[in-house]
Amino acid sequence: MDEHILELINVTREVAWLPWAVQYFFLIGISVGAVLLSLPGYWIGRPNWTKLSRLALVVALVCGLAAPVALVSDLHQPNRFWHFYVAWRPHSWMWWGSFFIPVYIGGLLFYAWAALRPEIAAQGRVDSRLGRLYRLVAMGEPRGAGLMKLAGAVVLVGAGLVALYTGVEVYVVRAQILWHTPLLPFQFLLTGLAGALGLVLVLNPIVGDGDARVEVKANRLLALVLAGVMVLGMVWLGLGYFDLDAANAQALRTVAASPAWRNTAIWAALATLVPFLIALVKPRGTGILTGLIAIHSAWMFRWTVFIDGQSIPKTGAGFYEYALPRGAEGLLGIVGTAGLCLFLLVVITALLPMPKRPATGAAETAFLHPAE
Amino acid sequence: MDRSRRNFLGLGAAAVGTATLQPATVEAREARHGGDAAHRWAMVVDLRKCVGCQACTMACIMENRVPEDSFRTIVSTYEVAENGKSATYMLPRLCNHCENPPCTPVCPTGATYQRQDGIVVVDNSVCVGCGYCVQACPYDARFINHETLTADKCNFCVHRVDAGLLPACVETCVGGARIFGDLNDPESTVSKLVASEDVKVLKPGEGTDPRVFYIGLEAEFQGRVDGTPTLWRPSRAKAEPSLV
Repeated sequence: MDEHILELINVTREVAWLPWAVQYFFLIGISVGAVLLSLPGYWIGRPNWTKLSRLALVVALVCGLAAPVALVSDLHQPNRFWHFYVAWRPHSWMWWGSFFIPVYIGGLLFYAWAALRPEIAAQGRVDSRLGRLYRLVAMGEPRGAGLMKLAGAVVLVGAGLVALYTGVEVYVVRAQILWHTPLLPFQFLLTGLAGALGLVLVLNPIVGDGDARVEVKANRLLALVLAGVMVLGMVWLGLGYFDLDAANAQALRTVAASPAWRNTAIWAALATLVPFLIALVKPRGTGILTGLIAIHSAWMFRWTVFIDGQSIPKTGAGFYEYALPRGAEGLLGIVGTAGLCLFLLVVITALLPMPKRPATGAAETAFLHPAE
Repeated sequence: MDRSRRNFLGLGAAAVGTATLQPATVEAREARHGGDAAHRWAMVVDLRKCVGCQACTMACIMENRVPEDSFRTIVSTYEVAENGKSATYMLPRLCNHCENPPCTPVCPTGATYQRQDGIVVVDNSVCVGCGYCVQACPYDARFINHETLTADKCNFCVHRVDAGLLPACVETCVGGARIFGDLNDPESTVSKLVASEDVKVLKPGEGTDPRVFYIGLEAEFQGRVDGTPTLWRPSRAKAEPSLV
């Protein structure tokens, strides 16, 4: 039977989650990934991780502090954010998130303070106008590793909760075909980790000392994480293609025939494969390039999931069109968030410049863990 | 109960459920507040009678001050070509006021909830405009109102229903395609139609248990329509005045 349906009149729904949401999930994902990268150096005390972990901590702070601003901005009634805290909504993952975020950010600040305390105390010993402030913040000379261990555990729990809620909050939305796929939380986690490594690679020569060993290590880790991203991507395709998971199969069927979606898929695959190959074959001298592509890849994944995902009509035919507005609901939000990140980076690195130390593991370890 | 205004005012309070209806989840029942539990409001849309005039669309906009470019209800219209012949197919869409609404549990502030009479409402003085309910609705029935900056949707004209009136779209429907009434009243027209006709709902596989029933709903239109999308977009009207 030859049947064709032409939609003559229907409604077009605009995106309800704006580019602010993309920025939030991008930044919080990178922050969580960066915290994980900082733990080996600060929490576990691995000497060969100290420089990378120091950079990762800056990334975690910059992105972690900017992320909630993007999230609140995504609310269409941002001045009502306190409504989250006067309601009892345990069946809403977003409601849980409103508690997990302060736990994570609070934990991150506590952890960063504990980790950077030796540096803050060192700054306090320098005769400067801010010396008193540094001494006040350092709260005396750091002694013992107990506080660091506690702070590391707190931030790890917070990061775990944020990774859990950001993934599940989106996954549980059964009505959004592209979101309700079981691998999505893991894809968020891994692409966030890749984005964090990307920022570490980009910042290494800018705010760090450009240590080639950090670059090589971060590139190798990036290759490993991107391999994981590709494996997850192939599993996602396999689950859909072979109809092993109904949600995946439906998601794949919905977008597979669209040339625009195919182009997006090819672009995403290349944005993962190219930095993977470069990082694998030539991990030295390519950090800026692989880092930038990895950051782009992490952002693009979230843009595709959120903005492109919302362009799939739930009842109508075809796809909704989306054009990025120039104002606060679009481009301005993206640029503004980037500006906030830059501001935070400048402030953090101005107050606590990367320590210029001999790149010997023992010296660095002594600096970061004075009591050990 | 009947769809006419006269009979509508003389509502019965019988609490006999329709055999074909599934019970709500415990969670959904506990969350309900407001409204009269004696009623379970529902709508039957008889597609055989819909002429696609969009009078319901306009009546809803006027009654509820729905902003430009937004719709609480609309008559989706399709041209179906089959074996060299073509016909027009009309499908009025609105909030389904589901028995298991996926939009209410996700709400982080409790701004959207289901009343005891089954009507799903949004308290826009509590809503933060997070859009989570918009995402969760499988029917694209919700949107962010550009004037109130909160979630918006069809509420069966709850202010009219509470005053003993019919929803504006039902009141204005020239073909009598929209029938509104109480499922708890076995004598209501909606109860009789649900019991006697081959009624269908949109996306039955979602488990939402809609309370908007359709007579004459074809399988191709129950879920996401597989066809050529419309060329007209409301937002284009501003950019391309010639399309207005």
